[in-house]
Amino acid sequence: MTPSEKTTTMAHASRVPWLTLRRKEALEAWLFVSPTLIGFVIFFLGPLIAVGLYSLTEWNLLSQESTFVGVANFRDALTVNPDFWHVVRNSALFALGLVPMNMALALMLAIALSRPFFGVVFFRTIFFAPVITSAVAWAIVWKFLLQGEAGAVNQLLASIGIDGPNWLREPNWAMFAVIVTRVIKMVGLNMILYIAALQAIPRDYEQAAQLEGASRWQVFHMVIWPLLAPTTLIIMVITTIGSFKVFDHIYLMTGGGPENGTLVLAYYIYQQGFEFFNIGYASALAIIMFVIVLALTIVQLILRQKGSG
Amino acid sequence: MSLSHKQMQMIKRVLWTVSLMIVAVPFVFPFLWMVSSGFKNAAEIFGQPSLLPATWRWQNFLEVFDHQPFARQYFNSLYISGAVTVVTLVISSLAGYALARLRFAGSALLMLFLISALMVPEEVTIIPNFFLIRLMGLMDTHVPLVLLPVFGAHGVMATFLMRQYFVALPKELEDAGKMDGLSRIGIWWKIALPMSRPALAAVAIITFLHSWNLFLEPLVFLSSLEKFTLPLALANFTDAYGLPLWHLQLAATSLAVVPILGVYLIAQRQIIESFAMSGVKG
Amino acid sequence: MTSLALSNLAKSFGPVKVIRDIDLSIDDGEFVVFVGPSGCGKSTLLRMIAGLEDITSGDLMIGERRMNEVSASKRGVAMVFQSYALYPHLTVRQNMGFGLKVRKMPVDEINQRVDEASATLKLDVLMDRFPRELSGGQRQRVAIGRAIVGNPDVFLFDEPLSNLDAELRVHMRAEIAALHGRLGNTMIYVTHDQIEAMTLADRIVVLRDGRIEQVGTPRELYARPANVFVAQFIGSPKMNICPAASIAREMSGDNLELNKAVQVGIRPEHLRVAAKDAGNLNGRVTVSEYTGAGSLLHIEVDGVGSFLVAEEGQVGAQQGDVIGLAFSNDDVHLFDKDGVAIHR
Repeated sequence: MTPSEKTTTMAHASRVPWLTLRRKEALEAWLFVSPTLIGFVIFFLGPLIAVGLYSLTEWNLLSQESTFVGVANFRDALTVNPDFWHVVRNSALFALGLVPMNMALALMLAIALSRPFFGVVFFRTIFFAPVITSAVAWAIVWKFLLQGEAGAVNQLLASIGIDGPNWLREPNWAMFAVIVTRVIKMVGLNMILYIAALQAIPRDYEQAAQLEGASRWQVFHMVIWPLLAPTTLIIMVITTIGSFKVFDHIYLMTGGGPENGTLVLAYYIYQQGFEFFNIGYASALAIIMFVIVLALTIVQLILRQKGSG
Repeated sequence: MSLSHKQMQMIKRVLWTVSLMIVAVPFVFPFLWMVSSGFKNAAEIFGQPSLLPATWRWQNFLEVFDHQPFARQYFNSLYISGAVTVVTLVISSLAGYALARLRFAGSALLMLFLISALMVPEEVTIIPNFFLIRLMGLMDTHVPLVLLPVFGAHGVMATFLMRQYFVALPKELEDAGKMDGLSRIGIWWKIALPMSRPALAAVAIITFLHSWNLFLEPLVFLSSLEKFTLPLALANFTDAYGLPLWHLQLAATSLAVVPILGVYLIAQRQIIESFAMSGVKG
Repeated sequence: MTSLALSNLAKSFGPVKVIRDIDLSIDDGEFVVFVGPSGCGKSTLLRMIAGLEDITSGDLMIGERRMNEVSASKRGVAMVFQSYALYPHLTVRQNMGFGLKVRKMPVDEINQRVDEASATLKLDVLMDRFPRELSGGQRQRVAIGRAIVGNPDVFLFDEPLSNLDAELRVHMRAEIAALHGRLGNTMIYVTHDQIEAMTLADRIVVLRDGRIEQVGTPRELYARPANVFVAQFIGSPKMNICPAASIAREMSGDNLELNKAVQVGIRPEHLRVAAKDAGNLNGRVTVSEYTGAGSLLHIEVDGVGSFLVAEEGQVGAQQGDVIGLAFSNDDVHLFDKDGVAIHR
């Protein structure tokens, strides 16, 4: 049996063409992904490697000279330049303020708006509207509203007897203001994701828990919240990464000020690279940002794994 | 006196609605204030605030066009966003189709690569991209504003959204297409795409808005006024000392935001669903 | 006109052979059914004929032409899919004309052919509807219509009735048989349902693990199954199989010629219930299931095993009864140690 089987396969082997359906499919697949793949290599992977190489040079665009300096830029950032840690602190503050505030508000709004009632579409539309609005427009309007004495917010506060601060001119208040206005802009997105997740939870679970005599809080705490965990994780990762990316919002509201009080990493990279032309140093900052974002993502994923395992 | 169950429900509902309305104030107020201030004159802007202008100053909306080539900038934003949308639709649906429906060695690895792009902020790669674009001689052109979103994190997101949708299409339909004599491109164009209209619409909506609102890339790549896109133009309403010309800036911002808001109000359901589908940033 | 010849046809995914050395010839106008349990390779074999799967080795001839590398749409075959695979964004008319349009046929001719097919299948009033507006049976008919308009030499059916409910399945089965009678094309039909196979086929091909177990007319397969697998696969309820030695020991009266048989098979419908000691064997009824037309009896024969008996008539034996089992020697199937039939 075996020898004869062998000879038949051999005899036919020469007649089997190279371009089988299977190979054709693979070839077509590569053709289909090639625009994405080529663009990805040119505008993402290549630059990612390049920025790593730049970070090892002393390169000022004005002097047109670049020299290899090893890890000097990183050493400079981490141990010499006082701005760096200040900027990292600002970025951390921004993230620590924005992420919990955004997620808590998003969840509350989602719970309020996940069941049909009169006006639910109206409220959803309103809370989502800032998401589709350009960050630039949003920043311009809020900068206008938050001006010292003439600003509408302070006038409003004055009418109820509160003497509002000069929001964007005092470092701590400025940070607070950029966080809150950013939360208002973006919370609608997380709200929508939470609403989708809440609506996907079968009502049976809740009803079963209620039949067993669970209070509303217990139902939420013991049934809904655990079922939302995957959504919460995704939202947390997206929102955290998003908070590190924020540039236009701060650029236009405070310009990183006052006294660098709102100078965050993304802005610092832009400033060093495109205002001061310290390409090497800015590239080192970009690498640091990359590492931070990567680390935060991985940590959150691991925490989640442990939590569920 | 005790209230009936029905009355309690009623009171609860009213309290609920009122508290939601209070929360909604900072979401709505900026839009109202933006439009109303766009009608005020420079003096009134800094005077006693009121929601309605004392005198409606329509000239603001004309002066916007004197201060900058605003019509040109508006058009730039429109056509760039349109181009980004069309190119993204084609490229992401091609790649998404291959990743969803075709078997090929390396597809899992490719997916992993692409996912990694979602995690990296564009600030990380903007410096090398600046040199790349300069090397290509494309500074102060609109080309990088099309290329970078298409091939950046946003394009990857669109690819995954399309892939997600294609995965669910029945395989036998493609076999039927093959029996009917369609090539692979034919199956993609005549079967997969027409069946994926919701996903295509979602990608189109999100992509258009993404490009429309882009700021860092225009800021880095554009230098001449008539090349500016809207976000860049809006940031540029300043006097000789770099201080904002509030009445013009707010009038221009209204002109940029209100049409989008109008479309949003008409198609809010579809737009919100699109973002829910993407599950990612805007 | 259009016969098919499969010689040494094989397919493997890497080291895994899913189709092994299939030799089969199908005559022009013949209705052939591939049947077998799930995973036996029957659908894969059909898709290889259609051009949707690679042929690893061997030859596929359709008519006079070797088709191994010819693309699916140029083989002169049409396929009806299990899920119907109608394009949801096209109307019935567009669905049926789609393939012709792709082949750049003039619009007039497309319309003419589509109209003819719709008349044949009584689809006239549905032509402008979308697939989602049709019932399962109607979709099935459109799928067949789409196959017809291409005027193919060979029709391929991939489990076309498995998504329909039982009643509609019987109805559509008859329609397909009628269609074959009318068109006279060569048809290859895949199913896991042996009743469909028996009722439709001129010839049945029983497959298992990518191999042909037996080819023959429904009568041949039923009367002279080549082995235990075919014997048990064809016929419902399935054939009782028991060790030859034990049944010979227990049998009373006339002697069964065993011819070195190791296993013995008797179909449930060939066993008759008799009074105790009046049959060939004695057994006890463990379960009696009333089916309307008769009863299904599970009978335990000590030292031999359990038998299923399809008893006709309204007065069935009851649970616990001790009865005799009678059968004619002609209805006994003998199998050797490898399960291959021994023919007397």
